[in-house]
Amino acid sequence: MDPLTLGALVAFATIIVLFSGVSVAIGLLIVSAGFLIVFDGMRSLELMPEIFFGKLDNFALLSIPMFIIMGASIASTRAGADLYEALERWLTRVPGGLVISNLGACALFAAMSGSSPATCAAIGKMGIPEMRKRGYPDGVAAGSIAAGGTLGILIPPSVTMIVYGIATETSIGRLFLAGVFPGLLLVGLFMAWSLYSTWKSGNTAVMSRTVYSWKEKLEILPRVLPFIGIIIGVLYAMYGGIATPSETAAVGALLCLLIAMIIYKLWAPSALWTVLRDSTKESVMILFIIAAAGVFSYMLSSLFITQAIAEWIGTLEVNRWVLMGAINVFLLVAGFFLPPVAVILMTAPVLLPIITTAGFDPIWFAVILTINMEIGLISPPVGLNLYVINGIAPDIKLKTILMGSLPFVACMVIAILILCIFPGIATWLPDAVMGPSF
Amino acid sequence: MAGQSSAAVARTGGNPFLKAVAALSTLAGWLSASMIVIAVGLTCQMIFIRFVLNGSTVWQTEAVIYLVVAATLIGLPYVQRLRGHVNVDLIPLMMGPRLRRNMAIFTLSMSILIIGIMLFYGFEYWHFAWDRGWRSDTVWGPKLWIPYLAIPLGFGLLMLQLIADLVAVIMRIDAPFGLEEKG
Repeated sequence: MDPLTLGALVAFATIIVLFSGVSVAIGLLIVSAGFLIVFDGMRSLELMPEIFFGKLDNFALLSIPMFIIMGASIASTRAGADLYEALERWLTRVPGGLVISNLGACALFAAMSGSSPATCAAIGKMGIPEMRKRGYPDGVAAGSIAAGGTLGILIPPSVTMIVYGIATETSIGRLFLAGVFPGLLLVGLFMAWSLYSTWKSGNTAVMSRTVYSWKEKLEILPRVLPFIGIIIGVLYAMYGGIATPSETAAVGALLCLLIAMIIYKLWAPSALWTVLRDSTKESVMILFIIAAAGVFSYMLSSLFITQAIAEWIGTLEVNRWVLMGAINVFLLVAGFFLPPVAVILMTAPVLLPIITTAGFDPIWFAVILTINMEIGLISPPVGLNLYVINGIAPDIKLKTILMGSLPFVACMVIAILILCIFPGIATWLPDAVMGPSF
Repeated sequence: MAGQSSAAVARTGGNPFLKAVAALSTLAGWLSASMIVIAVGLTCQMIFIRFVLNGSTVWQTEAVIYLVVAATLIGLPYVQRLRGHVNVDLIPLMMGPRLRRNMAIFTLSMSILIIGIMLFYGFEYWHFAWDRGWRSDTVWGPKLWIPYLAIPLGFGLLMLQLIADLVAVIMRIDAPFGLEEKG
């Protein structure tokens, strides 16, 4: 069978197997084993455990559990509430300050915790009731938190970016930097929409503000600055060339755990175990998919599917932007059903040769891909963030949350378009800090 | 929705086999978490030696890698027990109770089969390394059967937990895919 037809068959089989409800990693192993047995013989199965182990045998992977521990220890504390309060006190003079400070708190907390659902829960628990109390429309209150939560996978340090870096062998340091300005662009668009729709709802009373004294403004800082300091320190150590991402992440994990224990008095063994259990659970889940996706991409390339697809796309006489559009639609659909990490690991080996052949920058593409995944987080049927919001604000109808999130999806699509027109927003910072890549 | 099932830990319903497997998987989870913590500590120690004492490190990087690999493999059964391995449960959610149960039995059986294959060849791979005394080609040069041991151990324990999950669904102790019936 020619590799292209085989590729279509693999894609079809993968969709069937994954939709059966089997776990993603095991599903990838099933598809890989099935095609290897049929087209390469039983003997190729012998290699599967070796490839599985080999995929995990990589120091860069250490950064995944480390950044997850960092995020989990921050998420286990009251840091989210403190951050929210601090921003509210400091941004109170800005018109519509509450929704602005909510989005700002989401962006900062998302960067620190790297987790979308954790951000929605931590900021939303305080922010949504407060915004509604002050008369913001329910849709804006819920939608801004749902959208703000998605920023965690774009703004560094981001586990999703690390996974992309590992899957495509691109520099994690560069990827982190590439996420900074697009992240800020998204925050800006989100804020603009929130203010506009609040103003349009005619409820100008919400623009009124409480006044905080300097004492109130200053007393909150000692509780939020340490975490922000660690994040900046970790990034500085990485870009100062002091240590690798894995090493700095390990120090960051240790420091965040210590701060959680000292400042937030997370002493009880049961509380510490919760942090460790959640981190282990998430890390093992991601690392299992990484290893299984490694076996999957071995199967794809040993049956010459990856090569054939890249070659085929090369011979297609389509405009590269049409191609990029098609890739975006494909990623968007995949993101509707699968978690970001799974989409990246499954598609990267096939997509990377295509996009580099078409002359796109893989670092820039990482940002586009990540924003696509962010859309998936707030769109049905998966839309993890929508359900988290539904859980913390049960009296807001899921439909209202969904409708409130849709404009933010539009903001993300606009951001993708802006990034296509001005790719420098993503690539300038990594080039400026680390030197041009090509 | 996809993502981690909202349902909590797999239920054992007082069945001795299920309880024993659950205990084993939890123990594996503790082991896995400890290995990750040790990896954090070792990495920090390595950085301390290198940047503060200006010394050189020989074995730490490799040891940390093996610890994370082992933490992953040995953590598999525990995460399975917590239903932490993500799946797409959109179709099972749309199914009626009977069909959903049959589907769960089918997917669990397929999972057991593939993990069985990984266990079989993983054991062979480990046994090769043990039999021939393979060593890693680094300065430290540890015996490779030690890190490779995580392969049969992890997949073996995961298979056990999958069998327990299958038994729980067949005996109607646990809901298929951990999805509770509505109403």
